[in-house]
Amino acid sequence: MASKAEFENHCWADIMKPEDLETYAPYARETGIGDNPALLVIDLYNLVYKGGRKYPHELEKDFPNSCGIYADDAIAPTQQLIAGCRAAGVPIFYITTQFNPHRVASTRRTNIKMVAEDCEIHDAFAPHPEDTVFRKERPSAFFGTPLIAHLNERRIDSLIVCGESTSGCVRASVLEAHMYGKHVSVVEECCFDRCEITHKVNLFDMHHKYADVMHLDEVLSSVSLMKAA
Amino acid sequence: MTERIWDKFLTERDKQVFAKGGWAANAGGGKKPALLIIDVNYAFCGEQSKPILEAVEEWRTSCGEEAWEALPHIRTLIDKCHEKGIPVIYTTGTIRDDGWDKGSWAWKSSRSDEDTSDGAPPARTSNRDGNDIMDEIAPSPQDIVIRKLKPSAFYATPLVSFLNDLGADSLIVTGTTTSGCVRASVLDAFSNNYRTVIVEEGCFDRSQASHAINLCDMHAKYADVVQMDEAMEYIEGIDETYNLPTG
Repeated sequence: MASKAEFENHCWADIMKPEDLETYAPYARETGIGDNPALLVIDLYNLVYKGGRKYPHELEKDFPNSCGIYADDAIAPTQQLIAGCRAAGVPIFYITTQFNPHRVASTRRTNIKMVAEDCEIHDAFAPHPEDTVFRKERPSAFFGTPLIAHLNERRIDSLIVCGESTSGCVRASVLEAHMYGKHVSVVEECCFDRCEITHKVNLFDMHHKYADVMHLDEVLSSVSLMKAA
Repeated sequence: MTERIWDKFLTERDKQVFAKGGWAANAGGGKKPALLIIDVNYAFCGEQSKPILEAVEEWRTSCGEEAWEALPHIRTLIDKCHEKGIPVIYTTGTIRDDGWDKGSWAWKSSRSDEDTSDGAPPARTSNRDGNDIMDEIAPSPQDIVIRKLKPSAFYATPLVSFLNDLGADSLIVTGTTTSGCVRASVLDAFSNNYRTVIVEEGCFDRSQASHAINLCDMHAKYADVVQMDEAMEYIEGIDETYNLPTG
């Protein structure tokens, strides 16, 4: 939970113009997680970590599509998020890209060649047997997958979302969850993109329109309270 | 088990196959169902009860007397659901005045030109919109009406979103045609993991064989086909609070 006063206390604070924040002031509200959430871990596959702690433009030639330092920064917080959700009994759904040489790509990027290993979930987040893993070829985790059927069956009313890219598959999935009538909480420190400003503006957009963007500590304390209840 | 409506259409071998294969187990309804009434409008019922071969002269999609036999049962289910605070969702069709959005509906009927307001056949004397829901079961302010273009109540509609908003986890299905929009919707409900109870007397079709066999198929694979008394007992046992529209 975060109070209404904390509504704009997020990573976009340094880039949004005061007049734009004024325009969006009526959206301010208390934020939180839903009653019976699931964690959705989006596209944390090997490709985006390749090359390590460098800026994406420095990696572009050797590791196209890597998120470099931004991906690396999110590893520890995402591990904490997954561990916290697991400890609280929150169901965990992973979605990763479907490797297929003839796949329908999820973006319009050209000249990218992937191998099967690139599409496997990074070892830092290895799914457990009780988790659910889906593969997709398009930006949204819902498109062409049975995700909504699983949420319906388990009476999951909301999602906690982390992963990449904030402007691509995270946003597409968050939007679709919202359209399905699910409450969505996006964990700021556990999302990343290959462009910092895109990351920030997309979080800003989602926070005001579709989801509650929350800090990791807020989400962790909310899920631990849920367990206590 | 008492005789089912489809039994007389099945061969002895069919019956043995279903029994031996373990089909048609009782799935049980959901905890928080919504009542779904599919396409019970003038185009499918006609404006009065008539034998079907007469009825189709006026409304090509009419299901004749069977439609009018189902109406009081659907009314009873609606009243019970209202009493229990259970959401009532209707679907009906929609069409542009020029019929452009008929799309695939035009492919298999030689009379689809009659579906637009200016295409009425000589036998139809009223200017009733065929997509109007029947007065006998007219929606109340707290009910929800979904307009759709295709057979399934789920296809390109906000139905899943509405069920989530309502807090509903399952469906009770009635309406028409059993072999068309009812079956398409029940299949999508199944694919979305919603438990579904179909009320036999509340469903109708223009083909007797299709009605029976589609109920048989759905009961075998996707849903529980029950009769009115069992449906009413199930609804009576629901004690849940939904996020209903204020109306």
